[in-house]
Amino acid sequence: MFDTPAPPTPLVEMSRISKRFGGLHAVTDVSLDLYPGEVVGVLGHNGAGKSCLMRILSGAMTASDGQITVGGKPVTLNSPQDARNCGIETIYQTLALANHLDAAANLFLGRELKTRFGNLDDARMFAHAQEALRQLNPHFTNLKDPVSRLSGGQRQVIAIARAIYFQAKVLIMDEPTAALGPSETAMVADLTLRLKAEGIGIFLISHDMHDVFDLCDRVMVMNKGRNVGSFRIEDVNKDDILSLIIKGTLPDDWTPRGGK
Amino acid sequence: MSDVQASRSRRLRLGGASLHKLSAVATLVLLIVAFSFTSPAFFSVNNGLTVLLQTAVIGLLAIGMTMVIITGGIDLSVGSVLALSGVVTGLAIKAGMPVIPGMGLGIVTGAACGAINGLIITKMRITPFVATLGMMMIARGLALQLTGAAPISRLGDSFGQLGNGSFFRVVEMQANGFPKVIFPGIPYPAVLLLVVALLGAYILSRRQIGRHILSVGSHEEAARLSGVNVTRTKVWAYTASGALAGLAGMVLMSRLVTVQPNEGVMYELDAIAAAVIGGASLMGGVGSISGSMIGAFIIGVLRNGLNMAGTSAFIQQIIIGIVVIGAVYIDQIRNRN
Ligand SMILES: Nc1ncnc2c1ncn2[C@@H]1O[C@H](COP(=O)(O)OP(=O)(O)OP(=O)(O)O)[C@@H](O)[C@H]1O
Ligand SMILES: [Mg+2]
Repeated sequence: MFDTPAPPTPLVEMSRISKRFGGLHAVTDVSLDLYPGEVVGVLGHNGAGKSCLMRILSGAMTASDGQITVGGKPVTLNSPQDARNCGIETIYQTLALANHLDAAANLFLGRELKTRFGNLDDARMFAHAQEALRQLNPHFTNLKDPVSRLSGGQRQVIAIARAIYFQAKVLIMDEPTAALGPSETAMVADLTLRLKAEGIGIFLISHDMHDVFDLCDRVMVMNKGRNVGSFRIEDVNKDDILSLIIKGTLPDDWTPRGGK
Repeated sequence: MSDVQASRSRRLRLGGASLHKLSAVATLVLLIVAFSFTSPAFFSVNNGLTVLLQTAVIGLLAIGMTMVIITGGIDLSVGSVLALSGVVTGLAIKAGMPVIPGMGLGIVTGAACGAINGLIITKMRITPFVATLGMMMIARGLALQLTGAAPISRLGDSFGQLGNGSFFRVVEMQANGFPKVIFPGIPYPAVLLLVVALLGAYILSRRQIGRHILSVGSHEEAARLSGVNVTRTKVWAYTASGALAGLAGMVLMSRLVTVQPNEGVMYELDAIAAAVIGGASLMGGVGSISGSMIGAFIIGVLRNGLNMAGTSAFIQQIIIGIVVIGAVYIDQIRNRN
């Protein structure tokens, strides 16, 4: 679809974002952008502020400071609904599923399909959910169980299906494969590349270096809430990234590697 | 694992909620049988209708309470709001307002109290227990203040219609000139309860707001992240509870044909007990109107049957208290397995 080179306006531009919780600086002065058809890895140690930064973009949290533009226009994202209206969908690290509801009810939560009379159209939601979930996991059978009875992997699949079903322009994946087995993880990797080919921009948070090098075009490393380096993936190797994650600096002898 | 096994275990698991309802119905039947033996007058059309009438008020309150409990909250104010709504209606009728708009005003008063509860809980972030405890005192105080704690009577025959009228009443004039009641009719309050219960069940299971109520109680943060307007959903539930408390107030005061500012004390506890006996979880996310109706009838039958058997009001309290704890305990054991 989008064979033309990336247009000059980024899908999303976050500039100088900060987030404080009382005295705790979770995110400090971070800038980050994303272009169509691009996968940008957001990396960092536990508690580095990755989820906070992404939650600010999904409207789940408001920044203490900084601006966000979507498609070149400044926006204020005060609620998850605002972000969705801007075409930003999120797979939360916590999955954000309502335990007593079934897969279809969760998939359409907040965006229920209705009949002509305004009643919930459970049959149609079920059919769509079944199709969306089967794409990700052909063995998904217990669609009518409350999600509290599903396995961690099945729950994660629902969260992923929900984020991609509504045709986002920007997709935030916060550790989307943490609970998945090898075949489902491979499926999500395929899916990521397919969405990327469709021109969707993706932020990927992952601790898995294989995923990062296989999928990402660029990476941004956070350390103690700060952006300590943004690179094209060809310019760094695994050791450079680990050094940034752990120490917050590149190895002393670093020069751009230019594709190994 | 075979498919047969999978489907069988699912059927068993799905049984959880319906099993609870089934055992509640069994309890109800057992109570009716037991009371029929202890007092012969218990199992009669007339007494059946009396139970219906008595249960109508608790049932109406329990419908609103169920919605609130499903959101993970509680509404302690319904008994007082019931009284305040009655007082507002009584004063309005005394001031010359016709009965139907007067009752409408009473229901609106209840809804307003509920909306205020919802706003205090969501905007001021006060826990439901404290917020509605406050409203319980405020509404009761207002009701007493407005009336000087005196009942308002002589409200006219039409005010008594809602509480005392009935459909299909058959009365025959006898030769001696006295009327004989062939069939006492189905009381308006019973029909009202049925209609409101069906409406409540429909809203909970078939409408978007019902789904949102369930999701908020199930996992509030997940609901918020999914784009559910949590504030609106909660305010809706408390407003519904307040409006139904107002409606219950109309039924009760109309039945007495007098407005009593000190009516409805501790009714909230009966409504909560009805919901809990019916399977609603105070942790939120679980509950049904049908379950709460069964719960309301268990309490109604228990009260009525104990009355007819000559049990004192004090002993009744003790028994109902034990029933509530027992119902929740049995449910917990079942959920653990
Ligand atoms: N709601 C909150 N209130 C207070 N502090 C918070 C809140 N959310 C996050 N924090 C703090 O902000 C910091 C960054 O948290 P964040 O969740 O963004 O880390 P992360 O990089 O996603 O880590 P992980 O890899 O473990 O998911 C942490 O120190 C955390 O304790
Ligand atoms: Mg995180």
